[in-house]
Amino acid sequence: MASIRLSGVTRAFGPKLAVNDINLDVADGEFLVLLGPFGCGKSTLLRMLAGLENVSSGEIWLDRNRVDQLPPSARDMAFVFQSYALYPHMTVRRNITFPLIMRHHRWWFHLPLIGHLAKRRIERSPEVRGLVDRTAQILALTEMMDRLPKTLSGGQRQRVALGRAMVRKPQVFLMDEPLSNLDAKLRTAMRGEIIKLHQQVGGTFVYVTHDQIEAMTMGTKIALMRDGVVQQFGTAREIYTDPVNTYVARFIGTPPMNLLAASLDGSAGLRVGEAVLPLPSSLDAAARTTPGGALLVGVRPSALSIEPVGSPGTIAGEVALVEHIGAESLISVRLAQARTGHEEEEQSRDEVMATSSGYSDLRPGDRVGLRPDLAEAVLFSAESGRRVAAS
Amino acid sequence: MLLSLGLAIFPAYALSRFQFRGKGVMGLSLFATQMLPKAMLVVPLYAIFGQLSLLNTLGGLILANTAFTVPVVTWLLKGAIDGVPIDIEEAARIDGCTRVGIVLSIVIPLVAPSLAAAAVISFFHGWNEYVLAQTLISQEALRPASVGLASFVGELSTPVHSVMAVGLLYTVPAVVFYLFVQRYVVAGMTAGSVKG
Repeated sequence: MASIRLSGVTRAFGPKLAVNDINLDVADGEFLVLLGPFGCGKSTLLRMLAGLENVSSGEIWLDRNRVDQLPPSARDMAFVFQSYALYPHMTVRRNITFPLIMRHHRWWFHLPLIGHLAKRRIERSPEVRGLVDRTAQILALTEMMDRLPKTLSGGQRQRVALGRAMVRKPQVFLMDEPLSNLDAKLRTAMRGEIIKLHQQVGGTFVYVTHDQIEAMTMGTKIALMRDGVVQQFGTAREIYTDPVNTYVARFIGTPPMNLLAASLDGSAGLRVGEAVLPLPSSLDAAARTTPGGALLVGVRPSALSIEPVGSPGTIAGEVALVEHIGAESLISVRLAQARTGHEEEEQSRDEVMATSSGYSDLRPGDRVGLRPDLAEAVLFSAESGRRVAAS
Repeated sequence: MLLSLGLAIFPAYALSRFQFRGKGVMGLSLFATQMLPKAMLVVPLYAIFGQLSLLNTLGGLILANTAFTVPVVTWLLKGAIDGVPIDIEEAARIDGCTRVGIVLSIVIPLVAPSLAAAAVISFFHGWNEYVLAQTLISQEALRPASVGLASFVGELSTPVHSVMAVGLLYTVPAVVFYLFVQRYVVAGMTAGSVKG
């Protein structure tokens, strides 16, 4: 159990900064998720925490100890790899016991026969055996303690890897996308397992993923990263409801938040395309901080309701695609006049997504009007992409 | 043979895993030694061994043979170590292994098949070696089997039956050794450690 403090942590690969000046405070017992797209530096940051990667500059503190110059083994952190990294020539039992054996390791353990006997003695000592058996029981591995990793399925290997981390009772658990090699169903199950593990074992967890569902469900704190920089650090709820910039807004949520180009239309309200929408008081003050400036209105698909075309205060568009996913339908609407603030490379450059509950009767080509619920909307500056808020 | 394996495993690991100045040069120069014909090296080697009074000793012969097999074995093992997933080693580092510990308790078991192959190569190299043995050893009692076998072939007559008989005996240790080693030459030891 320990708190982690990162201050100004930077890692440069040549001129490129993979991790750029990260400052984070993670309290004891927290479950921190590092979330971000491929190549955003989240894994590098985790590896620096573990000591597998050097820190170019900055400091890492574990409670009151500075650890960034310590070797990995001295940091008392356990690491779960994406590839599991089990020792293939050892049985499951030996794999799980290995960190405990290493604790008592002497140089002469390398001698062929004597070392073998010594390791076996440690493995069979009551306290080690008890601990390993208990761990195996928690992870439902008791049946396969004498098998080799190659005979196990992905989920079982994953549990062995977790077991190897658990027996050490480390200060911090580090996990690098441990679920990404599992199929969807198993992933959901293991997600639950890890949350339970966190509740049972306690300890501080740092978990790297690119999967926002994992991040939202598991993390007590989320750090959303992009290009080596933390975009936003907060609880899942904060990140979902109060994104600090358009990047965070578009990254979190499936389907992502719609960004509509808008401008302030005198005192009448907000002009989005051909529609003028009355501003709720909650947004009014914020909008006025950028007078005449271009704005982006962020509206979650669930806050975008579909009405007959031409209804007053709606944005006209044409249905491009309807996807039924059971409980609700996802409707892509190509806008007639209004513009979006989505990134260039995105396919849905001029489309917004709306959800409607149940089975929608709409068909591609239908003309509709969209009414955004501005009470649930957030405003961004179109120029910087940053959130505009009343100061 | 054991000496050459023991000497080769650490440089092989270093060549495989570390980045250092002159790594390419070192790797290449290991190769370059193999390009020179042995017959050419025998004379300077004889001179050096003469000065070090290693002539006519089995130790000297072993040393010379080791010098010729180490580069080959190093390259062979480097290739094998390249195939060991780095994740496993990092896991071991986090679990508290030292570098040497990683090589001894993680890498060696995983490259056991290649190690066996390297053992075969270096054993047969030493066993079949003729030029060095003939040059460096002149005492009858110290001659290794290969030279001994050849000495049956006389200038005037060749006793075919004896040569055949001794030749058969000569192959026996080699066959036994191979039978002993070949069960370790099983591929697929690393399969299953990492999904992929």
